[in-house]
Amino acid sequence: MLKYIVKRILLMIPVLVFMTIIVFTIFFFAPGDPVSRIAGPNVTPEVYESIKRKYGLDQPYIVQYWRFMKSVIEGDLGISILQERPVIDMIKERLPVTLEIGLLGFLITFVIAIPAGVMAAVKKNTFVDYLCMSGTLVGVAIPTFWFGMLLMYFFAYKLRWFPISGYGTIKHLILPSFAIGLTNAAITARMVRSSMLEVLKQDYVRTARSKGLQEKVVIYRHALKNAMIPIITLMGLRLGWIIGGSVALEIIFSIPGIGRLMVDSILARDYPVVQGAMLVLTSSIIVANILADALYAIVDPRIRYS
Amino acid sequence: MITPGSRNGGVYVDKEWVKQQLSEYVEEKEEKRPVVEFLTKLFKHKGAVFGAIIIFLFVFTAVFAPWLAPYEYDKPDSSAILQPSSAEHLFGTDEFGRDIFSRIVYGSRISLKVALVAVGISLVAGTVLGALAGYYGGIVDYIISSITDIAWAFPTTLLAIAFIAALGTGIQNVIIAIALASWAGYCRVVRGQFLSLRERESIQAARILGMSDARIIFGHMLPNALAPVIVMATLELPKAIVIEASLSFLGLGAQPPTPSWGVILDSGKGLIGQAPWISFFPGLMIMLVVLGFNLFGDALRDVLDPNS
Repeated sequence: MLKYIVKRILLMIPVLVFMTIIVFTIFFFAPGDPVSRIAGPNVTPEVYESIKRKYGLDQPYIVQYWRFMKSVIEGDLGISILQERPVIDMIKERLPVTLEIGLLGFLITFVIAIPAGVMAAVKKNTFVDYLCMSGTLVGVAIPTFWFGMLLMYFFAYKLRWFPISGYGTIKHLILPSFAIGLTNAAITARMVRSSMLEVLKQDYVRTARSKGLQEKVVIYRHALKNAMIPIITLMGLRLGWIIGGSVALEIIFSIPGIGRLMVDSILARDYPVVQGAMLVLTSSIIVANILADALYAIVDPRIRYS
Repeated sequence: MITPGSRNGGVYVDKEWVKQQLSEYVEEKEEKRPVVEFLTKLFKHKGAVFGAIIIFLFVFTAVFAPWLAPYEYDKPDSSAILQPSSAEHLFGTDEFGRDIFSRIVYGSRISLKVALVAVGISLVAGTVLGALAGYYGGIVDYIISSITDIAWAFPTTLLAIAFIAALGTGIQNVIIAIALASWAGYCRVVRGQFLSLRERESIQAARILGMSDARIIFGHMLPNALAPVIVMATLELPKAIVIEASLSFLGLGAQPPTPSWGVILDSGKGLIGQAPWISFFPGLMIMLVVLGFNLFGDALRDVLDPNS
């Protein structure tokens, strides 16, 4: 068991290293001359050359990657061209905002998806099941950002229950989190249903029932606990989707998260910021996936990967 | 097996007989399911019928856009600014007085083009890589599957955004970005299929018969591995449509005045309080098209690939 988990965590290292290579390479070949980006358009050839040497941009690809890697390990992600501040500081400001939306979104996902999935599984092939499953079909198809705009129109413009946009109070977070949580709940509810159906077939559920336990206890205490195991892994995988989806929501609701920072920086060609944000986001998603996988093995001792 | 025949190192082997036995085996394994039976099974699903209708309408709209659109998609009309839905303007008009319905009709062309080309590229690239990894195994497999696992770990939308950051905006780059971000799935599926197919007697027989690698891969293994790939592609098409719309919505994809559904959604973003119809209808179209492909793809999976 411990061996498997250690192995899994060690496997993370080559993945992360390869990820830095991909991200570095993407921006190494990005169009535009990085030297003139730093120096501005009107520089003498001498100054141009000295800047090129100063930032090591005259070095070959491998050397530049090595320097990049070294500074990343030291926690230095470069300097923003636009704001002339360390990229890592900008990310530290913006990342928690995105995480707030993501966590609240996950919470909403669970609150909706678990009861819906369990109900659909317990009342399989009844009207309730069909209703829940048609709901999830539509939910999976709804574009998250469009759903966010619909919520904004009804609950902020028409009903005025929530502020239209901005950031500061919990009320500002409700609509974007709901947009991401509800669309994510659709796919999660389907998983909960099929996982639950699998568990309800098991012998121990029948035993629990024949012991004369209340149906509620059987379902929530015995079956659901085990049905949730594969859902944990799924949630790890959904993190990337949640962050990808929150990019557009941050734009719609004017929330200063990392997605908004990234889009603004792409449009302003502030590559060090995009590169830094990309590194932080993808590495946290990769780590989350692998941790979810390891957690899966801890919770379910039957699982042995070779 | 050993019958009187050609003398070969002291053992009598009738090569013709072996060949005949083996090739019968190859043909037996390659029986094709009749098309009719397949279609009957497929359209027993209500979802498949509904999905197929939506997909047909979507493709029909894209192909016949100039005949279906009542107005030109980029023609401003100062007398009809920000009008809600009416008989004249079915989906209303935007801040330049352009007809939203006509823009959406033309926008379907962009969605369809991006989805088909991006999915086509990633499908071919992923399938070829997966086939090479699964067929040759060893070091080839190790290299390809390591890269695939890592590409698989990246979230698609973020990876597409990163490629756009490097390539620049525009439809062409959106297609490239989506293709680069989504080939890994096909590679994994095809590799898995090839690993199990490789052990089949029919493939072993084809090898013994001395068929070339290319003929075994493309003639015998690929047709047998294609079902899950087709299912996957059907379910990847709507994802490509959504990613294109999201990127265009963020200003990273198609640029105005191109009538991409994402661009129309974006143009209604600031006007959502006054003119919600600008953003409502393109989003609704995306939802319907995605629903159609998902329904059809799910039914296709039930029929083609019942094990998954």
